[in-house]
Amino acid sequence: MSVTAVNGKVSQVIGSTFDAEFPEGHLPAIYNALKIEEVIKGNPVKVTGEVQQHLGGGRVRCVALGSTDGMRRGMDVVDTGKPLSVPVGKGTLGRVFNVLGDAIDGRGDVPHEERWPIHRDPPPLESLSAKTEVFETGIKVVDLLTPFVRGGKAGLFGGAGLGKTVILTEMIARIASAHGGYSVFAGVGERTREGNDLWLEMQETEIGTTGRHVIEQTCMVFGQMNEPPGARLRVALSALTMAEWFRDATGSDTLLFVDNIFRFSQAGSEVSALLGRMPSAVGYQPTLGTELGQLQERITSTKSGAITSVQAVYVPADDPTDPAPATAFAHLDAFIYLERKISEKGIYPAIDPLASSSRILDPQYVGQRHYDVARRVQRTLQRYRELQDIIAILGVDELSEDDKMVVHRARRIERFLSQPFLVAEVFTGKAGKITPLADTIRSFEELCDGKWDHLPESAFMYVGAIEEAEEQYKKMQQG
Amino acid sequence: MANRRLLVKRLKAVRNIRKITRTMELIATSRFKKAMDRAAEAAEYTRKISEIVGDLGRANLKFSHPLLEKRTEEKKSILLVLTSNRGLCGGYNASVLRQTVAHIRGLKEKGIEYSIEVSGKRGIKFMNFQKIAYAQSYTHFEDQPKFEEVEALAGRYVQDYIAGRIDRLDVAYTRFVSSSKQFAVVESLLPIASLGGTAGAKTEAEVDYEFLPSAQEILAEIVPAAFRAKLFKCFLDAAVSEQIARMVAMKGATENADEMAGSLKQQYNRARQAGITSELAEIIGGAAALE
Repeated sequence: MSVTAVNGKVSQVIGSTFDAEFPEGHLPAIYNALKIEEVIKGNPVKVTGEVQQHLGGGRVRCVALGSTDGMRRGMDVVDTGKPLSVPVGKGTLGRVFNVLGDAIDGRGDVPHEERWPIHRDPPPLESLSAKTEVFETGIKVVDLLTPFVRGGKAGLFGGAGLGKTVILTEMIARIASAHGGYSVFAGVGERTREGNDLWLEMQETEIGTTGRHVIEQTCMVFGQMNEPPGARLRVALSALTMAEWFRDATGSDTLLFVDNIFRFSQAGSEVSALLGRMPSAVGYQPTLGTELGQLQERITSTKSGAITSVQAVYVPADDPTDPAPATAFAHLDAFIYLERKISEKGIYPAIDPLASSSRILDPQYVGQRHYDVARRVQRTLQRYRELQDIIAILGVDELSEDDKMVVHRARRIERFLSQPFLVAEVFTGKAGKITPLADTIRSFEELCDGKWDHLPESAFMYVGAIEEAEEQYKKMQQG
Repeated sequence: MANRRLLVKRLKAVRNIRKITRTMELIATSRFKKAMDRAAEAAEYTRKISEIVGDLGRANLKFSHPLLEKRTEEKKSILLVLTSNRGLCGGYNASVLRQTVAHIRGLKEKGIEYSIEVSGKRGIKFMNFQKIAYAQSYTHFEDQPKFEEVEALAGRYVQDYIAGRIDRLDVAYTRFVSSSKQFAVVESLLPIASLGGTAGAKTEAEVDYEFLPSAQEILAEIVPAAFRAKLFKCFLDAAVSEQIARMVAMKGATENADEMAGSLKQQYNRARQAGITSELAEIIGGAAALE
């Protein structure tokens, strides 16, 4: 029996969802891809839909993965008989795709042997990898306070304009350029311009000293802001599927960058009401946790290979208790929270050293010394934050001598957490700094011990290791 | 939106602080008046003594007194630091202590031995923290220093100086110029540099005194008295300045607390309204979805 032989008809179009009616006994399965291809008054209408619900009476409700403009009732709908699939394999490297797995970089067809469906089960429990290893980034504040896990997941939480995308791009520049494996980038509902910038940048950046470019080891999948919610809802899965192939078939360490996972939840909430689900807290879809869980559980390391992922998470209205970021939080190993107050001080990366944390900031994984230094830094900053109200009302002179010292050091530590970025070199005019973990730990230890109390606060801005602060101070005195 | 309970808690704390600072401001104001009166009275006394000394000077007598002699080689000195017993007075103690530390550095460079005497708990705490050794500490000079207490101190300094145990006495305190101007200084009280000849020059009519029993004997009496008066004035100046500093600091603190309470209240109101709006939206949305 050929499934494709039986066509259905469009019976209703509601925004970015539509209903299709199929003859009895030929109802397409949930998640099956449906195709509509017709020319209406000279305008080609080409839409792919994904079945979301069975409505009974041979009718199914679908989410359109493209624009529904020009669709009308009675159009022919073809059931492809299987879920949407994307090309996988080494042929995808260096290419840019859309949610459907079509190349959109204008370089012709993608050579591929296999297509994998984007809906897959997460790896079984027993095949998960239990290794825990620190993943060095060369960014002081990240390495010290929120160490990344090799094969783990890290989230960058932050409100609008705090530099999530910049940090993510920086991660790509730092990790991917020193990384031997493959990288997959998923652009979910963010600016198309940023995607283009990233693509061009990857073509220029070289991997270490091999003379090869980062793009040759990377594939990119975009479903940006301009696309309908269906595309934004599925683009992360398309990218993840490609990353899974690298993990399972080549067994190499794979990097998955997602910008921005919040847009995935947002797209889900946009179609949720159209699918007839009752809105839940703050108007999100009631299935928020399920949807995100299905995606996040697949981003994981197995015994055959590892996926290390860095995800940006937009925090609406700077409120981390909003259900979307709060749900994403539970899935992550390392959690970086960007704080507006810090960015207002001109300190970038604007990472909140107290709200950010990592599962492996534990003596068992990072070593006793690293742990102690990190906690000392946090204690100092915590105390400073507690004193802030008193300082605001009574002034710094009223503090006890001990507290004055805490404030003195905390202000220096705060500034020392800034660091020049490789990708921000054109804006700041300062060369990016990669600080080895050992230097980072030593620098902060000395800072807490009070060895550098004599330097002015401004000397600590945008330097790498602590010795550079001294150099900067000497330069400031000369100039 | 920020945690509403947390905002309420902070708001309460700020309001309590405001109550305290406002009260402190009022207390400081009334104490300032008293201290001011005492300082003004003492200023009169000091001026009169200066006048007499000035008259003595004009009598063209060759006078000499051990307290007036500047030693050719200064070896040992005492530094008396006047700070307050209580805090909440802004930069009052900090600026005196800053002067003190700078002065100590100067003494070290010149190679002069020094021993430090501190008055006031704030100063003592600072010295302990900075690990600066001090020979004596006093906490009994409250905001109304008594002359007898200061006199005892002055007597000891005079004896030490005459006996050659010290070559110099410096006092770090806050000088009171007017109710809007006070500043921290380190002043050298011994040896007495001048006997305030300029102050005496202005006296109306020149009076020819007959000195009895003799000018020299009067001098022996009046020079230590002038020193005592000067030292006492340092204490009084410090006391007035402390009250003024506290008044200003508490006024500022009250204003800051008002401002903070205002912004917290605004944040709270916004958070509350946002909560109500989102709940309403959810109920309406839910009801609409059920239809």
